[in-house]
Amino acid sequence: MTTAIIDPTAGLRAAAVAPPAEAARPVGFSGLRIGLLENTKHNADRILSALGDELAQRHDVGALVHRTKPVFAMPLPEDLVEELIRECDVVVIGVGDCGSCSASAVADGIALERVGIPTAVICTDAFVAPSQAMADLKGAPEYPFVLTAHPIANLTVAQIADRGRELAEHVEARLVLSDSLAGLRS
Amino acid sequence: MLDPEAAARVIDHVYAQGWSDGLPAVAATEETVRRFLEETVRQPDEIVGRHPQLEREVTVRDVAVSAIMVGCLPEYLPVVLTAWDALSAERAARGGGWQSTSGPGALIVVNGPIREQLEINSTGGALGPGFRANSTIPRAIGLTVRNGFGIRPRELEQTTVGTPGRWQLLLGENEEESPWEPLSVETGLDPGQSAVSATLVRDFELVDNRSFTRAEDVLADLVDTIQRSGALIGPHSPSGIILNPEHARLFAGAGMSKQDVREWITSRAGRTEAELTAVGKGLSNGGDGPFAADHFHPTIAGSTPAHLPIIVAGASNAAISLVFRVLGMWSGTSFPVR
Repeated sequence: MTTAIIDPTAGLRAAAVAPPAEAARPVGFSGLRIGLLENTKHNADRILSALGDELAQRHDVGALVHRTKPVFAMPLPEDLVEELIRECDVVVIGVGDCGSCSASAVADGIALERVGIPTAVICTDAFVAPSQAMADLKGAPEYPFVLTAHPIANLTVAQIADRGRELAEHVEARLVLSDSLAGLRS
Repeated sequence: MLDPEAAARVIDHVYAQGWSDGLPAVAATEETVRRFLEETVRQPDEIVGRHPQLEREVTVRDVAVSAIMVGCLPEYLPVVLTAWDALSAERAARGGGWQSTSGPGALIVVNGPIREQLEINSTGGALGPGFRANSTIPRAIGLTVRNGFGIRPRELEQTTVGTPGRWQLLLGENEEESPWEPLSVETGLDPGQSAVSATLVRDFELVDNRSFTRAEDVLADLVDTIQRSGALIGPHSPSGIILNPEHARLFAGAGMSKQDVREWITSRAGRTEAELTAVGKGLSNGGDGPFAADHFHPTIAGSTPAHLPIIVAGASNAAISLVFRVLGMWSGTSFPVR
């Protein structure tokens, strides 16, 4: 006689149907209010600032909106989500450079996409596994995140500026449709 | 008749499914779960742990399944459940601590008569191995983190190296040899009430001061250990002490309460900005800087039991205490066993 063994992971099955996690992209950066949501990790604010400056230099952006995620491992507070919806057209999130905050950054990105805000989430390349695991868990396994080299906590001022420049192109590709691509589509 | 070959096949099956923490685990069945659930007044579907970021919850039943798999006795279940109450009050545990690169374990402290009822060790070898309740209850927490929250190593969990004995950190407080009130009473529960306290811990260090003659010397040794820079990742390094009964009696004999000991330590443990800078951990570039070279940074941010929990445990056979490092900060709350 055999007795059924209980599967202790049975509760982990992801919801069968998850809403899409890709907001419609605007064409180009002209006039866009770009949210820069730093997560309090060391140098995250500096890297996002450098990135924002680079984007502002390359495009006729509307505004750079600097915001801080108060608890890096937790979901975004509702009032902060509402503020981002109100004040930003696109949002850059980062930098995921630990086990919980990388996954949490991806979760925030997916949540904002689902309310219509295009996002670019930046994680360091040491944390691909938790970032991808969170995308899977949220029912958005294809959700792309932008990688930057680990570590970031010990970068010099000059290196941070370089990092901002390097990231700009990848972040642009995540956030908007390029003008030329839009031209082809119209 | 026992069938050891069948038992081995079941253990292999549990491994093959990815349900084990690396040690042999047995399988839970509806019948064993039913037997465990008889030990608690809680409903099987009551939620005892939540992970907001993952949007996952674990129930009494989920906890029972883990407890069975790691070798708990049914009567341990209320302590496992209460440990979840305690951990649910820990901001670090709710906020990503289980995924942390520091790989913290749950340090679980048990007070009151349930220690005797469950044979929870609070004296020699309290942190194990060799004692079923001490070894299996914390392991049940770890298995629920893995199977209930789905936080597995090198996936959502990103431990760099890990904390030795990560899922083995349970002890009773040695109330019988302590000169002071138990931890649970210090936090407001009644004497004689069985209780569980828990926090996330990422390091232990010995304070082996067995040839002591003066309380101040041992206190200074504790301070010297607590103020070490290694565990610092910000201005403070939240800590606690598993205090050997010999050290506790030395301090009490010198007229000190537990709170006196705490304040003696928290008022002295710290480093100057120059000392922190010398190890690459100066705080001048942070939000509150810059600081003068002789600016004193206290290691512990305050002097409440939550800032520096002190638990008397271990044997009176050598005066060895342990300093531990807390991830985040202890809630400062003990929970009645239920």
